[in-house]
Amino acid sequence: MPRLARALVRSGLLLIAASVVIFLCTAALPGDAADALGGGRATPEELARLRAEQGLDRPLHIRYLDWLSGVLTGEPGASLITGRPVAELVAQRAGVTVALAGAALAVSVPLTAALSWAAVSGPRRLRSAVNALIVAGAALPQAVVAAALVAWLSAAWGWFPPVSMLPAGEPPWRRPDLLALPALTLALPAAAYGAALLRGAIADVLARPYVRDAELRGLSPVTIGLRYVLPMVAAPATRLLAVLLGGLVAGTAVAETLFGLAGLGELLVTAISTRDVPVVQSVAILAAAVVVAGLFAADTAAPRLHPKAARP
Amino acid sequence: MHPQLRRRSAAIVTAVALLTGCAATKPAVTSSPAAGTSTGTIRYAAPGSPSNAVTDPHGLLPGESDVVRMALTYDVLTVPGADGSSRSRLATAWEPDATLTKWRITIRGDATFSDGRKVKAADALFSLRRMGKKAAENFGRMAMFDLDASKVIDDTTFELVTKKPYAEVGKALEGATFVVPEGIDDFTKPVPGSGPFRPASKGGAQAVVFERNDDWWGPKPTAKVIEVRAVPDPQARAQALLSGQVDLAGGVPATLAKQQEGNSAVRLLRRPGATLYPLVMRMDTKPFDDLRVREAVRLALDRKQLLDTVFLGYGEIGNDLITPKDPTSPKNLPQRTRDLARAKQLMSEAGLAGGIDLTLHTTTAYPGMDSAATLISQQLAEIGMKVKVSVEPADTYFSAVYARKPFYLSYLGGIPFLDVVRVTLTPGSPTNETAWKDPAWSADLDKALAEPDDAERRALLADLQTQLRDQGGYAIWALSDRLDLAKAGLSGVPEGIGFASAFIDQVSLDG
Repeated sequence: MPRLARALVRSGLLLIAASVVIFLCTAALPGDAADALGGGRATPEELARLRAEQGLDRPLHIRYLDWLSGVLTGEPGASLITGRPVAELVAQRAGVTVALAGAALAVSVPLTAALSWAAVSGPRRLRSAVNALIVAGAALPQAVVAAALVAWLSAAWGWFPPVSMLPAGEPPWRRPDLLALPALTLALPAAAYGAALLRGAIADVLARPYVRDAELRGLSPVTIGLRYVLPMVAAPATRLLAVLLGGLVAGTAVAETLFGLAGLGELLVTAISTRDVPVVQSVAILAAAVVVAGLFAADTAAPRLHPKAARP
Repeated sequence: MHPQLRRRSAAIVTAVALLTGCAATKPAVTSSPAAGTSTGTIRYAAPGSPSNAVTDPHGLLPGESDVVRMALTYDVLTVPGADGSSRSRLATAWEPDATLTKWRITIRGDATFSDGRKVKAADALFSLRRMGKKAAENFGRMAMFDLDASKVIDDTTFELVTKKPYAEVGKALEGATFVVPEGIDDFTKPVPGSGPFRPASKGGAQAVVFERNDDWWGPKPTAKVIEVRAVPDPQARAQALLSGQVDLAGGVPATLAKQQEGNSAVRLLRRPGATLYPLVMRMDTKPFDDLRVREAVRLALDRKQLLDTVFLGYGEIGNDLITPKDPTSPKNLPQRTRDLARAKQLMSEAGLAGGIDLTLHTTTAYPGMDSAATLISQQLAEIGMKVKVSVEPADTYFSAVYARKPFYLSYLGGIPFLDVVRVTLTPGSPTNETAWKDPAWSADLDKALAEPDDAERRALLADLQTQLRDQGGYAIWALSDRLDLAKAGLSGVPEGIGFASAFIDQVSLDG
């Protein structure tokens, strides 16, 4: 199936390009892991020795290729700061981040649909209110959302604890009470952002002559929605879903830190601050892979969802 | 932590404080019974990052949670006592020869590693040598020893050789000398320790679970299990305690501590003098090469205002002594106070009556350090110094600013005088941040360390600290308390600062 093969190759190239960009960005930051280990109190000779021990004195392209071959053979190396295998660090945290992003996705998908529908086809008053909400929600930093959620759902109403200390050795999905606030912190701005992108697509479809025609023929809004609108927005919605999911996976850092969860986002942010390149590379490429896989799925599914789109 | 995230954390702290101003009086939200307490388990939220959790006890220990985990797993040779003197732990005696260069260290014979092997002198010396090899990552903690010349005498004694006469070996062996089995170099897999607790396999990134080691030689801990959790955000640590998810929260923000005064469900633990943000003035760079300018800066600071603003009053004003809680710190010195007239006079004597432009570097990595810089710049404006505050990214502050810029706020937390000397007051060292190089002072230091009489030596060391206070490049304007929040029934939390605070094996919870 040449079409599928092309899409696969494209996804692979995208990932490689992303990994190069991530690598170069991390390398361009001032300081390196040896500086972090020395804590600002090591002599230049000691730092040079640390760099040699960690292979940081090798040329940039060699270090990159070394990492790449490691990833391809399933051994992404070890953290420069803690010496622990990257695979172990990621595996220990993946459950928390997947549970968090999954819960956020479960909230944000229906919310995105509801918001974008209400924004273009609700009664006039509701429309302007929802549109204002979308703009405000998409612009709100996660920290503010978190603060508001803690103030209302925790301090005032006592529904959920204000931070989420997951019990040691217990899978995160067993404690939905601890995931609720961080998941909502991720989901609410994501849903607003998603609706901001999707409402335009829905408005376009609603303006098409055949939809007007269907309205004039007296079809119910539900029938119009399911029969005429959904097929047309399915393709952009799937792509949006891929982007949202990538954003949720990559955007967990703030929520994890504020609520005290040890997940991939917190790992990425800490690794960037200590210039722990193998960890940064591996976590960032994992987030990129989620987006690329999502887009791949969306691209592959698009012709099926909307047969007309496949025809020129 | 990422500076962006810092700012966001600060934003949430402010927002939560505003939105929940009355929350202090309400019953705290408790998590479901599944996470509830049993008196056998004590849960500690310590400052640190789960992502940086190291396994090697001899390298850099980036967070306090790392030191706490190591101190539960391994025995150390000596520990700092509450009064700052060295107390016996695995080492029961440390005795010098007449030259103070050869020390006979005796370790207890009844300690065993978790694999059943006895802890021997060879293990201890091996561990010290390993620390020596990792000097770059532990601030050269073994720099005073000639470890190659040192040797094992028998199962419980070894001879430790110092490079120069060094009377404070007990102190040099404090806190970080984690003893591991001889020959072990790979710490990515669990390594047998002989400490009061043993890491259980249950755990992972969220928290590390420690089970009591019933074979430990020391006083039997009351807690059966201690759970250590690294939580980077101070606000999150405090909220974890207030919502009943942990029993002890280390290093909580002063704003939150203030709100909890009067809440009988929690106890605020204060450790005086735990943290300093010294104002560094580099003595080989204009205008700080002139003692009169350094003195003018010290006299221009309004210490009380800084203490009240930066640390919300949780602490005490500084007297420019770099290690005021060290047992050798001079007592009975007059408190330095603000004297603008004298400061202005010194400025004009230094030829700077017309003022001078300066840049003061600071960062947001430590709570209040940026506001401290702003306030200092306002205070120094009154003696004609036009100080521009430059807020630097937190993650490169130590590599781009420490010992590189001539004027900045540094950070010291509970470090003994001789440790500060080794790292920042050794002439010619690249980490000598104030460019302190007085040959007479260094010679007096050697003389003090070669003085076998304790009282005599303390007097000499005190005198060195007084000279540094008056001549050196540091202005120490205040000392902040370390603030911990504990559940009302919790006791046994160590009182000391620095390494002393890591030894939590005797914590206990009644009820």
